[in-house]
Amino acid sequence: MRRYSAFAIAREALRYHAGWEKAWASPEPRRKYDVVIVGAGGHGLATAFYLGRNFGITNVAVIEKGWLGGGNTGRNTTIIRSNYLQDPSAAIYEKSRSLYETMSQDLNYNVMYSPRGVMMLAQTQAEVRGYLRTAQANTLQGVTTRFIDPPEVKKLVPIINLDGPRYPVLGALWQDRAGTARHDAVAWGYARACSDMGMDIIQQCEVTAVRREGGRVVGVDTSRGAIDCDKLGIVVAGNSGVMAERAGFRLPIDSVALQALVSEPIKPCMDVVVMANTVHGYMSQSDKGEMVIGGGADGYNNYTQRGSFHHIEETVRALVETFPMVSRLKMLRQWGGIVDMTGDRSPILSKTPVEGVFINCGWGTGGFKATPGSGWAMAELMAKGHSPLAEAYTLDRFREGRFIDESVAAGVAH
Amino acid sequence: MSEAASALDGASFEGLVRVADAGLRGMVTLRGDLGADALHAAVKQVSGCDMPGQRKITAAGDSAVAWMAPDEALLLCPHGQADATCAALARALDGVHHLAVNVSDARATFALEGDDGALREVLAKLAPADLSAEAFGPGDFRRTRLAQVPGAFWMPRQGAARVICFRSVAQYMFDLLTTAAAKGSGVGYFQA
Amino acid sequence: MLILHCPYCGVMADETELHGGGEAHLTRHGPGSSDEEFHDYLFAKENPRGVHFERWRHVNGCGKWFHAARDTATLEVFGTYSAQTTEPPQAIRDAITARRPGWTWRHLAGSAK
Ligand SMILES: Cc1cc2nc3c(=O)[nH]c(=O)nc-3n(C[C@H](O)[C@H](O)[C@H](O)COP(=O)(O)OP(=O)(O)OC[C@H]3O[C@@H](n4cnc5c(N)ncnc54)[C@H](O)[C@@H]3O)c2cc1C
Ligand SMILES: [Zn+2]
Repeated sequence: MRRYSAFAIAREALRYHAGWEKAWASPEPRRKYDVVIVGAGGHGLATAFYLGRNFGITNVAVIEKGWLGGGNTGRNTTIIRSNYLQDPSAAIYEKSRSLYETMSQDLNYNVMYSPRGVMMLAQTQAEVRGYLRTAQANTLQGVTTRFIDPPEVKKLVPIINLDGPRYPVLGALWQDRAGTARHDAVAWGYARACSDMGMDIIQQCEVTAVRREGGRVVGVDTSRGAIDCDKLGIVVAGNSGVMAERAGFRLPIDSVALQALVSEPIKPCMDVVVMANTVHGYMSQSDKGEMVIGGGADGYNNYTQRGSFHHIEETVRALVETFPMVSRLKMLRQWGGIVDMTGDRSPILSKTPVEGVFINCGWGTGGFKATPGSGWAMAELMAKGHSPLAEAYTLDRFREGRFIDESVAAGVAH
Repeated sequence: MSEAASALDGASFEGLVRVADAGLRGMVTLRGDLGADALHAAVKQVSGCDMPGQRKITAAGDSAVAWMAPDEALLLCPHGQADATCAALARALDGVHHLAVNVSDARATFALEGDDGALREVLAKLAPADLSAEAFGPGDFRRTRLAQVPGAFWMPRQGAARVICFRSVAQYMFDLLTTAAAKGSGVGYFQA
Repeated sequence: MLILHCPYCGVMADETELHGGGEAHLTRHGPGSSDEEFHDYLFAKENPRGVHFERWRHVNGCGKWFHAARDTATLEVFGTYSAQTTEPPQAIRDAITARRPGWTWRHLAGSAK
C-alpha cells in the first residue's frame, strides 16, 4: 500500500492524480476464512483491524450487505466523548477516545479527529446534581472532565441563550479532549488498513444464515454463496436481532430509528459540541459550516432508515430556545439510522450460546465514539476468549441483574 | 368566599378569526358504560340532552354532552350548576356503577368565531385532525392534541368553534390559537 | 409517520396522538415462575424485521389502549384491534396472510399460501 503524505499529494498533483491506488480491494469471497465478521461498519472493520494488528490473525473476511460504512457509521453525528458514569463505561469509552487521538497516524488516513470539547448543558437542578456526580466519578476514573458555570459556558459558546424562559442554563459538564471525527473516514481508514493486511472486505453480500454443527459455528450462507469459518463475529448494530435469530439465539435489543439533520452551511459560529439533554437536542458545526443536529428516536420498533417527521419539529423547537439563531437557519437534509437499544443503554460484547459466535451490539444511539475501543475489545475477545474491557458487557448480565446503567449519562441520543 | 374567575379573565384577540377566553363553564366528567340504558336516562334527565354517539356532542338549552371515550362523557352546564349536576347524576344513577366528578375548575374554554374556512384553518394548523367540512362539522366532537398539549374541540354552529384544554396550559393554548390566527397568516386551505 | 385506526373512538390517529406501548400479548411471569420464564419475559424480546404485534395508547384522544399489527420494515399497518384479547383475532391474521404469506411471530404463523 502506498502511504498517504504531503509528498504524495505533491507527486500526484504533478501527474494529474492518475497514480492513486484503490484504497481497498474488492475480492470474490473465498471458500473459507479463520474469522468472518458480519457487518462492515466502523465496529466490524475495527474488530478485523485489531485482530490483525494485535493478534496477527489476518485470514479474515468482513462481509457487508450494503456498502461499507453505510449503516449507522455513516449516519451518526460523530460525537466522541468518554464522560460516562459507570466504571466499565469509562474504561472502554476512554480507551476508545485515546485511540482516536492517534488514529490518523495509526491508519495513515486522516480521520479529522477534532478534540474541540463537548459540553453537556445542565438545565434543571437534577441535571446539575447529576453532572456534579459524573464529574466526580470521572475524576476517580481518570477521565478529565469538570463542571463549569454559566459564564464559562457563555464564553465557550457565545451564541447560546443562558436565560431560556423554561430551561435556563445552570452550568455544564465539560470534557475538553472530547470532540468529533469524520465518520466515513473512520470506516474507510480501517477498511484500507484491513485490506492492506490481506483481509477480504466483501460488500453487497448479505449473510442469510449461520451454519452450525453440534452447537458450534462452521460457516455462513450468504447471498454470494456459502463461506466456512472457525469463528464468527456479528457486528450489525440495528440488525442484531435479525442476525441473532439466524444464529439461533435471542437478544435483549429493540431496534428503532434515530434521526439527525443538518442546516445550510454558515460562517463559523460554534467551535465546540453542545448537548442539551433536558430539552433533547444537540448541535455542532461541521468543517463545511453546516450545523449538525441530533434528533429524536422513534418510540416504536422499526427498520426504516428514516424516522418520523415530527421529531424534526421537536428537536428544532428545543434548540431554538437555547440557540435563538437556529430559527433563521434552513435545514438541508434529514436521515435516520436503525439503532440497537438495550435496557441499560450499555453495549453487549459477548460470547453467545453458539460456540465460536461472538456478538458486538447494543451501542444504540452512541457507539461511534466507541468504534476503536469496541474493535480493540472485540478482537481480544475473539482471539483469546476474554477481554478485560469487555468483561462487564456479557449477555449474561441481564440474567444476572448486573446492569450497567447509563440511561442518565447517555441522556440524549448521541 | 373568593370569586371564581376563568383562566385568562376574558382575554380576546382579533385576527383571521376572533379568539376569546370563553369564561367560566361548568364541566362534569361522567364515567360508566355509555351504552347502558341507565346512563342514557340519567344524562337525559339531568341535562336534557341525548347521550351522544361516538365522537359526537349533543346540546339542549345551555347544556351539552360530549363523547370522550366509550366509557366517558363530559357534561357541560352553567358554572354554578356543576355541583348540582353531579348530585343529580348520583341520585339518578344510584346503584349503577359510575363516577361523576365536577372538573370545571381544571379546564379552560376558548371561543373561536368568524369565517368558517378560516376557523377550520386555525384549528388545522395546530391539530393532526381532519378539519375538512366533509369530515368535521357541527355536532362532531374531537379529542386530539393542539401543538404540545391535549385538547378537544367542537363547532356549536357553522363559523364558531369551542376549544377546551387543561387550565394549567390556558395561556399556552391562547398563544397558540392567536398565533395560528395572526393577521396575514391565512393559507386559504379550506376556502371554497 | 404512522397512522393507526383507534378501534375505540374510530379516528385515524396520527402518530403524534399516540403512544407506543411495546410488544403485545406478553405473559407476565412473576413470582412462582421459573428463572428462565422470568428472564425471557423481561429480556427475550420480539424485535422482528417484518410482521409485529404491539400495544398502543390513544393518549391525545380517547385515552384507550389497543393493539396493532404492522410491518416494522415498511410501516404497513395490517390492522388494529381491541385491547381485551390475548391473541390477534382471525381477521387480523388473515389480513396479514394476504399481504405476507408464510409470516410467523412467536408461536403464531400464517398459512404458507
Ligand atoms: C442519527 C444517528 C446519530 C448518532 N450520533 C452518534 C454520535 O454523535 N456519537 C456516537 O458515538 N454515536 C452516534 N450514533 C451511534 C453510532 O452511529 C453507532 O453506534 C455506530 O456507528 C455503530 O457502528 P456499527 O459498526 O456497530 O454499525 P453500522 O455502522 O450500522 O454497521 C453495521 C453494518 O452491518 C451490515 N449488516 C447488517 N445485517 C447484515 C447481514 N445480514 N449481512 C451483512 N451485513 C449486514 C449493515 O449493512 C451495516 O453496514 C448515532 C446513530 C445515529 C443513527
Ligand atoms: Zn381513540
